[in-house]
Amino acid sequence: MKPRACVIVYPGSNCDRDVYYALEKTGFDVRYVGLEDSVNGYDLVVLPGGFSYGDYLRPGAVAARERVSFEVAKVAEKGKLILGICNGFQILIEMGLLEGALLQNSSGKFICKWVDLIVEDVDNPFTNAFRKGEKIRIPIAHGFGRYVKVSDVRVVLRYVDDVNGSDERIAGIVNEGKNIFGLMPHPERAVEDLLGGSDGLKFFESILRYLKG
Amino acid sequence: MRYVEELKEKLGREPTFVELQAFSVMWSEHCGYSHTKGYIRKLPKIGVGGNAGVVSLDEYYSVAFKIESHNHPSAIEPYNGAATGVGGIIRDVLAMGARPTAILDSLHMSRVVNGIVEGIADYGNSIGVPTVGGELRISEHYKHNPLVNVLAAGIVRHDLMVESKANRPGQVIVIFGGATGRDGIHGASFASEDLTGEKATKLSIQVGDPFAEKMLIEAFLKMVEEGLVEGAQDLGAGGVLSATSELASRAGLGAVVHLERVPLREKGMLPWEILISESQERMAVVTSPNKVERILEIAKKHLLFGNVVAEIVEEPIYRVLYGDELVMEVPIGLLTDAPEEPILDYIPGDVPQFQRVVFEDVNAGFVFEQYDHMVGTDTIVPPGFGAAVMRIKGNLGYSLVTHSRADLAIQDPYWGTYAAVLEAIRKTLAVGAKPLAITNCVNYGDPDVDPVGLAAMMTALKDACEFSGVYVASGNASLYNTYMGRPIPPTLVVGVLGKIDPRKVVRPKPSKVYAVGWPDFDLSREKKLWEVIEKLTDEGYFVLSSSRLLTRTHVETFREFGFSVKVRLPEVLPLHQMVLVFGDDPKVDIPSREIGQLSR
Repeated sequence: MKPRACVIVYPGSNCDRDVYYALEKTGFDVRYVGLEDSVNGYDLVVLPGGFSYGDYLRPGAVAARERVSFEVAKVAEKGKLILGICNGFQILIEMGLLEGALLQNSSGKFICKWVDLIVEDVDNPFTNAFRKGEKIRIPIAHGFGRYVKVSDVRVVLRYVDDVNGSDERIAGIVNEGKNIFGLMPHPERAVEDLLGGSDGLKFFESILRYLKG
Repeated sequence: MRYVEELKEKLGREPTFVELQAFSVMWSEHCGYSHTKGYIRKLPKIGVGGNAGVVSLDEYYSVAFKIESHNHPSAIEPYNGAATGVGGIIRDVLAMGARPTAILDSLHMSRVVNGIVEGIADYGNSIGVPTVGGELRISEHYKHNPLVNVLAAGIVRHDLMVESKANRPGQVIVIFGGATGRDGIHGASFASEDLTGEKATKLSIQVGDPFAEKMLIEAFLKMVEEGLVEGAQDLGAGGVLSATSELASRAGLGAVVHLERVPLREKGMLPWEILISESQERMAVVTSPNKVERILEIAKKHLLFGNVVAEIVEEPIYRVLYGDELVMEVPIGLLTDAPEEPILDYIPGDVPQFQRVVFEDVNAGFVFEQYDHMVGTDTIVPPGFGAAVMRIKGNLGYSLVTHSRADLAIQDPYWGTYAAVLEAIRKTLAVGAKPLAITNCVNYGDPDVDPVGLAAMMTALKDACEFSGVYVASGNASLYNTYMGRPIPPTLVVGVLGKIDPRKVVRPKPSKVYAVGWPDFDLSREKKLWEVIEKLTDEGYFVLSSSRLLTRTHVETFREFGFSVKVRLPEVLPLHQMVLVFGDDPKVDIPSREIGQLSR
């Protein structure tokens, strides 16, 4: 049986369909989940990129206080896998499920481009298909991606170049329990050579491999 | 207001205050196309018309696309002017039932105006439609009148396409989206006069809310999918007035509008202000009374306001009520058929010896970088090389490009415009696509002062379309781009839609570089050049077609992908027929010589 994944569609999410496509392509049984729906019964919960509530107030701030986000916190506590990409990462931070803060890029501008990353940690459900220290290429697309560290965190991804002013060039982190992963780059945009690269596919394959044991 | 005498004569009486407001919007150049509709009628056309042009790609899918200007607002208030320019054209495409999939911006300005770039970026990025290309042309000529032209495209399944009209009495019009305020009052009239005119205040600029637009897109597509939409038009210039009157009038029917039902966000708005406000992120949907409840439910679920605002009636009148009060009543055709100016016959001369007029060569890469060009995961060729290539998941693809040659048109409006069309087609062929259709935006100065230049542009557009066999699917005109009476250069921005199998897209790889073609221009050779470009892309060569042969943007884009290009560029005239070909030893029967190397 295929592992089950759901993609939460917040008002203003805009990478929901992209990550759905990537998950389905990798071999997940995928569903969209709206504000009123339940997130129970899924092996993986994805918070996609976009501009939930238009980024009004603060990126992720309003979405983090939706009922469905509290549901996410509940299943996370039970150890289910949670993946937050870009705006999804911002929401996880706003919910307090991951530590730190994501502030405006040091350039003050939105940046959309392919960047080089180093996979620093492969001992978790999200990056186990990579080699430790592997250099990969994935697009970023964000205005508020400057990660600010407030405590020691488990760094999974690091930018090779300083693209947005993040502390220690941090691009993605996992929580202590290793079941909640947040990253600013968009792996779902790098799943086919036709799109310019397929390094992103390995994130979804890692999760699949972990779930299939 | 222009045409007041004509209005009096047609009404057979003095117009009321409200009528003057209404007609100054509907008969503005922006809404009424008085100076251009005679020319537009003569253009060769393709596809289904409406809010945007719809051109079929295969038996299931069509592309809806259109380019539109937002020049005047961007001059006064760069950020909101440019942002709402994106919002407006997106809704035009959406109104056809299409999911918006791509944005291209054609910008002409004297320097990079950050407010304009940020306005486009913040809006486009937020609604999740990738900005996949465009052009950035820097010249002093646009110091007071920057041109912000935005092309949007969307994909619609044939069976879900929406008409831009009502079709029978008894239907109703629901307006839903953001609430209505006082922003953008007389925006259409302001966009139809010199920038130092009396309406050039920030109050006539619309304010954008990209979050509402994103919700509007999703809500509207849901309504289309559920079969609730029987006709639609977005609320742009002229607001409720323009959308409701045009929807009814195109079907030869009338409409009764109830202004007290329009959801407002400002207290104390007068009925005429509600009628012509250009508040953004609103859509008018024609439907049957039994579908209204579900439509309003969907709108509400998407955090939007909505209400039934008008009924379609048999009698061809336009009646506006506010409660029991009659605000206005006129024959509907009078509103929607703006007076038409006579057109001129233009006889083109020979192609002149063009001088090189310096438009600064800037790297547009740093602008493209601020736009999300990948969301949707359908962007196959990113911005920087020329035409963008998009796919529809599966094996279907299309290309989009915008192009202009104001540097030539300032010298000869006819041949400058003609050249823009030819070169846009070359750019389409250069990515391996087959040109399908054209959209165009005519940016011009004052047609009352210089009607000949406009005639030259419009005639050139017609002639170039007929020459190339690629016809017009949609278009827009922005006149009165003047400051203290001084006009911009005649600037036709042409957008070309092409069809391509995305698997056949050629990507650059290390190779020799050749200059293929002629350093000068002779129209009789143009189709030979096209044939050669087609053959080369078919054979797997990477081709760049540019009026400068190689631009800083090209060089920087190559660098971004890890390439460095070393070439000795041949001398070419400002208008030439030469392309750069990347690959070893191209076999062609036109002039070709090796000029350098592309390496890793």
